[in-house]
Amino acid sequence: MPEGTLCNKRPIETDEQLKTLLADKSGKIYYEEMKHLDVDTAKLWDTIRKTMKSRLKTWLSICAHCGMCADSCFLYLINDRDPKQVPAYKIQSTLGEIVRKKGRVDNDFMHMAMETAWARCTCCNRCAMYCPHGIDVGVMMGYLRGLLYQQGFVPWEMKIGAGMHRVYRAQMDVLPEEFVDTFQWMIEESEEEYPGLTVPVDKEGADIMYTVNAREVKHYPEDLAEAAILFHIAGEDWTIPSSGWELTSLAMFAGDWEACRLQVESVYSAMERLKPKRMIGTECGHAHRATVIEGPYWAGRKDGKPPVPSIHYVEWVAEALRTGKLKIDPEKRLKRKVTLQDSCNYIRNHGLREITREIMSYIVEPGYFVDMAPNKEHNYCCGGGGGFNGIGIFRPQRNKALITKRDQILNTGAELVVAPCHNCWDAIRDLEEEYEIGISWSFLKPLLVSMVVVPEHMKPEE
Amino acid sequence: MFKKILFATSATGACDHAARVAFAMAGRFSAQLDIFHVIGLPTRAYSQVVIDAKTRERVEIDEEYCDWVKEELRVYYEQLLEKLAGNHTMEVAVGETHREILRKVRNDPPDLIVMGGSTRHVEDSAFRNVVTGSTFQRVAKAAPRPVLVITRPAASFWGGFSRIVVGTDFSEGADMAVEYALHLARTTGCEICLFHAVDISGLPLGQFLTQDDIEDRLRVARKRIRSRYVPQFGDIRNYTVDVWEGIPGLEIVKYAREKQADLIIMAHHARRAESGEDRMGSVMEQVIVRAGCPVLSLNRTVFK
Repeated sequence: MPEGTLCNKRPIETDEQLKTLLADKSGKIYYEEMKHLDVDTAKLWDTIRKTMKSRLKTWLSICAHCGMCADSCFLYLINDRDPKQVPAYKIQSTLGEIVRKKGRVDNDFMHMAMETAWARCTCCNRCAMYCPHGIDVGVMMGYLRGLLYQQGFVPWEMKIGAGMHRVYRAQMDVLPEEFVDTFQWMIEESEEEYPGLTVPVDKEGADIMYTVNAREVKHYPEDLAEAAILFHIAGEDWTIPSSGWELTSLAMFAGDWEACRLQVESVYSAMERLKPKRMIGTECGHAHRATVIEGPYWAGRKDGKPPVPSIHYVEWVAEALRTGKLKIDPEKRLKRKVTLQDSCNYIRNHGLREITREIMSYIVEPGYFVDMAPNKEHNYCCGGGGGFNGIGIFRPQRNKALITKRDQILNTGAELVVAPCHNCWDAIRDLEEEYEIGISWSFLKPLLVSMVVVPEHMKPEE
Repeated sequence: MFKKILFATSATGACDHAARVAFAMAGRFSAQLDIFHVIGLPTRAYSQVVIDAKTRERVEIDEEYCDWVKEELRVYYEQLLEKLAGNHTMEVAVGETHREILRKVRNDPPDLIVMGGSTRHVEDSAFRNVVTGSTFQRVAKAAPRPVLVITRPAASFWGGFSRIVVGTDFSEGADMAVEYALHLARTTGCEICLFHAVDISGLPLGQFLTQDDIEDRLRVARKRIRSRYVPQFGDIRNYTVDVWEGIPGLEIVKYAREKQADLIIMAHHARRAESGEDRMGSVMEQVIVRAGCPVLSLNRTVFK
């Protein structure tokens, strides 16, 4: 059967294709066409033979079916301990099966695999911590997503997201000048309050090159202003690149490895152009993982590192607080019950669990911080990671997944959840919208701006 | 003076009083009226799924839907539109309400922004518990144009100004408010009522200001107004100076009521609050929710 016009094995490469796919509301026609999409079994097997290396092969074969991964998975727990939600089952029934059948699977199977890969796993990697062999189902799901994407069995929004990165080098349709323009607009809005506030663009040799999430540009530009204000108060020598400013990668969620590579290359290219001492990204988990951790491998960088040392925003905040570049006014510390979301991508997967707690110790009045249970690297996924937040057809499953985080928050008795990650922030926002438990949630930046001591010479003249 | 007026509306009851004022002013000043409505915020990045702020339904935004919303706006303001003699435009947008309004102001600068009151009572608890409306607060703080807010019926408003009250706390912002009032007076010939309230509300329990003390303060304030502002008045003679004691927000409202003022002009003092909400001075907030006439907010960027 011929491939569909909207649902096919070809990636989105032009703005026109993007708009055409976007016009198909909720992907109605897209999913209809997917029902008739053929599986290119030869290509599938060929790809596996070329790209599935020893680690994944070992993992698939040494699974002892011990079931320890079961209780580790929040989706297993929230779905009434459905055996089909056991991580080992989820990967063996999909990737394991494809390998066993040497790629000879059909359309129905691929639909099931798509749902498993995008609605039954958020790639939070929690199971890896409990498996006696250290098997990481999340990593394998990522690989599976790549296979599915290649075959065209990918959720509508993910196809669009990957397309956005291919066409715009950003997760949203931000035109080239729009980023700098929006940043400068934000500076204009805030320079009354913070005289001398500027945003250096394309400055070479700065200490810091700052990268963001395209959503901040489109819908939450206040975040850009806050970032600028904090760098300004801290006296940092910073800059933004006019291109290569997007830290995120929906392409990673989509399994579009080529788009992943193209995306991170644009950021690395900015790093090479501007040669900052280091790159600092905005508050986003997967973005850090994509651009700093996995990215170098996508781009073929042998040392596995980006061109310049890169750290997560929370690392910069902790450093600034520690060294006194940013000082908190004790009167303005948070004096209500606060809890902290541990974003899997930089807490469990990048070891920054004490950094965020260090920050809490500065900004929360002693006695008011309550950790979730479990917490740190054992904390559960927000419910919306890995692209789960954005996929319409899997919204019911996602909403169910939010219950885990909802209950964790309720058990802390906290009024405010600090969530230094766009995905987690979204998930918590959605959980409040859905379950109305009466909480507030915030990134770090607005909190810091509200309580940081502004040096005298930076205050507006009265 | 006002050739282009931007009326940012939720197209609900909360903006009905503001609508009457916006249309009346557009008529009186022969201004183009730009009607602007933000449909809602997309649930996800590039997603077109939006919760329509008015219908509370989950909808998908496309050209067709936008046209339908504009048609709804036309119907909602039918009677006002019929009587409008001049040009008007209608635009809808998607995003955070205050941000899209500010974006519109930046891309297509009006002479004046007209807004209504908080939509809190109309909508569910999705909106924060803010007295004056968080959208207005954020727009008033950042907009490089005067923002006129109407939260209660401005019954006698006929579109023009014959008497305006300018509240001053002797700040730099207040200086700008006076400057703007002078500009308005020169254009419309209205009377300016300069007003200052001596704040006696902050007295600690048990402390007591004698009436002599209070009247001393009144005298000092009056003198200060005369020396600080009157020299700028030039040939404008049509003004009064009054100073009352009391709770500033309430005194301004009472004063404007007694004077049957058409407008109160105040400077907006930006201050960031704990949760990131931009709280304006509480005096202004009090005035906005109690005044019987429109209130004009000016922040420091207006004169750039």
